[in-house]
Amino acid sequence: MKRVEIDIAVIGGGPAGLAAALKARELGAEKVLILERNIELGGILQQCIHDGFGIHRFDKRLSGTQYAQLFIDAVEQSDIAVKLDTMVLEIGADKTIYACNKSEGMLEINSGAIVLAMGCRERTASQVLIHGDRPAGVLTAGAVQRYINMEGYLPGSKAVILGSGDIGLIMARRMILEGLAVEGVYEVMAAPGGLTRNLVQCLDDFEIPLHLSTTVTAVHGRKRVEAVTVAQVDGAMKPVAGTERRIECDLLVLAVGLIPENELSRAAGVEIDPRSGGPLLDENFMTGVPGIFAAGNVAVVFDLVDYVSASGEIAAAGAVNYLRGKLGEEKSRRPVKAGENVNFVVPQRLGRECGETTFFLRVSSPQKAATLSCCSGKKLLFKKRCRFLAPPEMLTFTADASGGDELVIALKEEAGRR
Amino acid sequence: MRKIKKALQKAFPKVELSVGLDDRGILTLYGECASWQQLVDIGHKAARLPGVENVVNELRVAGQRIPQKDYRPLRDAGRSRGLAADVDVLIIGAGITGCGIARELAKYKLDILVVEMSGDVATGATKANNGNIHPGHAEKPGTLKARLNVEGNRLYTRWAEELHFTLQRCGAMGFITSRWLWPALLYGYIKALKNGVEGVQLVGGRRAVELEPGLKRSAIGVKGAMWLPTMALVEPYQVTVALAENAAENGVRFWFNCTAADILTEKGAAVGAVTTKGIVRSRIIINCAGVYADEISAMAGDKSFTIHPRKGVIAILDKARSPAYDCLCDHVTFETVRRTLQKSYTKGGGMCYTPEKNILMGPSASESPDKEDLSTSARELAYAMGRGDETIDYSDVIRYFAGNRPADYSEDFIIGMSPITAGFINVAAIQSPGLAAAPAIAGKVEQIVAAAAEERGEPLERDPGWEPLRLPQPEFRHLSRAEQEALIRKDPRYGRIICRCETITEGEILDALRSPVPPASIDAVKRRTRAGMGRCQGGFCQPRVLELLARERGISWTEVTLKGEGSRILLKSNRPRAEGGADK
Ligand SMILES: Cc1cc2nc3c(=O)[nH]c(=O)nc-3n(C[C@H](O)[C@H](O)[C@H](O)COP(=O)(O)OP(=O)(O)OC[C@H]3O[C@@H](n4cnc5c(N)ncnc54)[C@H](O)[C@@H]3O)c2cc1C
Ligand SMILES: Cc1cc2nc3c(=O)[nH]c(=O)nc-3n(C[C@H](O)[C@H](O)[C@H](O)COP(=O)(O)OP(=O)(O)OC[C@H]3O[C@@H](n4cnc5c(N)ncnc54)[C@H](O)[C@@H]3O)c2cc1C
Repeated sequence: MKRVEIDIAVIGGGPAGLAAALKARELGAEKVLILERNIELGGILQQCIHDGFGIHRFDKRLSGTQYAQLFIDAVEQSDIAVKLDTMVLEIGADKTIYACNKSEGMLEINSGAIVLAMGCRERTASQVLIHGDRPAGVLTAGAVQRYINMEGYLPGSKAVILGSGDIGLIMARRMILEGLAVEGVYEVMAAPGGLTRNLVQCLDDFEIPLHLSTTVTAVHGRKRVEAVTVAQVDGAMKPVAGTERRIECDLLVLAVGLIPENELSRAAGVEIDPRSGGPLLDENFMTGVPGIFAAGNVAVVFDLVDYVSASGEIAAAGAVNYLRGKLGEEKSRRPVKAGENVNFVVPQRLGRECGETTFFLRVSSPQKAATLSCCSGKKLLFKKRCRFLAPPEMLTFTADASGGDELVIALKEEAGRR
Repeated sequence: MRKIKKALQKAFPKVELSVGLDDRGILTLYGECASWQQLVDIGHKAARLPGVENVVNELRVAGQRIPQKDYRPLRDAGRSRGLAADVDVLIIGAGITGCGIARELAKYKLDILVVEMSGDVATGATKANNGNIHPGHAEKPGTLKARLNVEGNRLYTRWAEELHFTLQRCGAMGFITSRWLWPALLYGYIKALKNGVEGVQLVGGRRAVELEPGLKRSAIGVKGAMWLPTMALVEPYQVTVALAENAAENGVRFWFNCTAADILTEKGAAVGAVTTKGIVRSRIIINCAGVYADEISAMAGDKSFTIHPRKGVIAILDKARSPAYDCLCDHVTFETVRRTLQKSYTKGGGMCYTPEKNILMGPSASESPDKEDLSTSARELAYAMGRGDETIDYSDVIRYFAGNRPADYSEDFIIGMSPITAGFINVAAIQSPGLAAAPAIAGKVEQIVAAAAEERGEPLERDPGWEPLRLPQPEFRHLSRAEQEALIRKDPRYGRIICRCETITEGEILDALRSPVPPASIDAVKRRTRAGMGRCQGGFCQPRVLELLARERGISWTEVTLKGEGSRILLKSNRPRAEGGADK
């Protein structure tokens, strides 16, 4: 078995992994290695040929592939080692990595620090309890995107989309452009799941109807999808009898959520936050296992790739400091609590001297106007007025959170502005 | 006969019934009833009456069209193709039953053909069951089911050794936490002894916890248990594929997408069958057609039973949910005893796991007239999930599916040479424990075929070239790191992981695609390799599997199907393509 010694191993070569590797090298880590199971770097971005990437970071509207290429070029010009077509199979609690590929066989990689950047996977039909038959023609949005954009094939002619998250919206437009009919987008929640700009540019501009509080309850067709049944749902999200409608179609596209891919992390002993779906992280994006960091969608499902890259850089800086022994084994981490109307916050815990820290959070329900506050006990550390808040749009702010006790982050609705 | 009619009229006063009884004790029911469930109830009631061997249920349901397969166009198409094959043995159906029989008969100098209407082996009940190799304690003493279950369970050891599939003798335990339930255990124990279940024991609480340490962890006071060491687990499609491959290596032919549409007889003897690929001449025809076995038997002029499909829904949980016990544990409570005492034909409910340690919840059990209805509903899933503990919820479910049990009204296996049509052998009504009994069923059919050959004065001759062993296929995920390293060195294709969730390599998929009974669809690859069986359900690996399938079979991407004819995944290409031939 081939043994490799490395300073920082980055698992996953998507935007999070690329940003982490570059930052780590920039901050002086000597030997940085990216392990990527695909035959190219870039992660999910390689199938995102639409624009809208990099608005915050580069103040430009790039396509996913263009955005990724900027980072890939930088990695290629650096001395960062890259192993493609290489699958990480296991991370031991002692941080030993086992990975394999065709040319080198099994690799045993010992590294000073690890950055997890494995991204996420999509929820499937069984996970959203769709019943009826199980024919060909039920695919997740990401799979449809891959078939259409990368492989060059159309998996249907008339589609129904379940889920109004960004991926669902983007695929609605993409399918129209490819000549498919899109009967409509159905969303079980009372509010759309995607960014406003995608609602406008992907649905409104193409006159694709969006049906809220409606879900697909059954698939019909024993070999290939022939139709689906949709039904309205009540407040408890249960289908309302009598509202069922049968829609003829040959493709059901599921855009029903992403799940961070934390199987490797769990096996390595990393504790997962059930709310964010990612590891419990501190201000350096270090997990509960010292020396193992997480970045990108494996840490928490970000909606904008700009944040993904930023998280990679936070984790990389942490990893470099860890290597230099600058991250004390702090036992007494303070919890960060999600207060009023906050669904979750990352990081979930902080060291005593965390300094300037960037927080990422999602609201629980839409609000027109609210005040964001970050308090440590009675002390107000940060305050900001926010408008048009909705769960799909991630909120972020940076504040010095050193000292004090547990932190509470809350959003108080502004009176009279309902 | 009058008595029978009277008894039925007393039980179902509102139903206009007429009955016919032949000298074999086959009772045929005619008339109209109110619902499908009632139709099934009448059939069951009739089968239990004295003097009735089995029931042909020709009842109709008021206002309901019962789906019927129309063989006429298939028959015409097959006839027009003329003679397609002339063989010694024709087996209809490539489930565990048909493949098991084919594999055992391959040891003789016989030309054997298996016809299967779907595109692969193991697509009927065989793909959608719990994979339990039951010890045989639960079957009614004296039935064929009970005898073949116990014998089949024992024979699995040999099958697993010869064919190299995974067989886990995990053992099973029915335990009690109240002393008052000892009689229930004792009752079960005596039944198990009557059936000849090997190794069955009644044990005290302390011994039970020794046998299954998980019981201690769960901190319930176990008072006693019935221990069944022979309980085992398999992946049913893995067993079936192994049987089919070994059969094929020994010369058995498989025709897929080939429906048997008629049985040809001459002077009371079978001479062949009309299939959609043409006429097949054969003097031995073995009917292993699952839910369609009654229709095939009727084609042979032997209408002596009716299959009523009983659907079962099963849910698979994520591997992250590991089973709490090593053996299959069943908590015997007053509630479960009450349920068993209620007359019921189901083997519903429960929680077990697969050899790969995925928990299975279910199955449910519901009667429905449509033999091809494998749809699921919220109600059935809730039933399947209902027997777990509080810690399990829907978010652990990665997949659910349904299978139809081929039940008849006597609720026992029907295995034997037809007394009406010589050479036609029914292997029908193989519902649970059909998987567990499979080796014994195959053995019994082997005897029937041998006896028939003897009778004809052409005794079966062993084929000296018969090879009972099937070489083991590498399973990357089960190897140590050093073994994995060695495997990749030998063939680098084992170094590329295609299915991330289940860690399945390109090498394993290619092994399957180049095997003696190669898979022809995405699902067929999945059954052989597990690629796509994990938590993402093929979201990531489907395009890669599709690519390999198209390449190895020399077809275009748009011709690849999910589960056989009519289930293409990609409809057309959206860009000009030079290489790879015509894309339709
Ligand atoms: C359909 C779609 C549309 C989107 N649209 C936009 C948009 O308009 N604007 C925007 O800003 N953002 C958008 N995003 C979001 C953005 O693309 C993602 O947030 C980003 O790609 C996540 O980056 P990542 O590096 O965390 O994960 P990924 O890009 O998923 O990368 C993870 C990488 O890790 C590799 N990996 C995983 N496990 C292993 C292992 N065991 N061994 C080796 N390698 C492994 C994977 O192969 C993959 O390459 C979109 C996302 C999708 C899916
Ligand atoms: C939910 C469920 C759970 C179960 N659990 C267990 C268990 O744990 N243990 C156990 O021992 N048993 C179990 N069983 C029972 C077991 O699955 C069956 O007994 C067994 O699979 C029957 O195999 P078979 O080959 O006879 O039938 P099938 O697998 O149904 O095969 C019949 C084949 O015949 C083909 N066919 C039909 N008509 C034609 C035709 N005209 N021409 C050509 N081909 C035709 C079909 O396509 C099919 O492939 C369970 C069953 C169900 C439904």
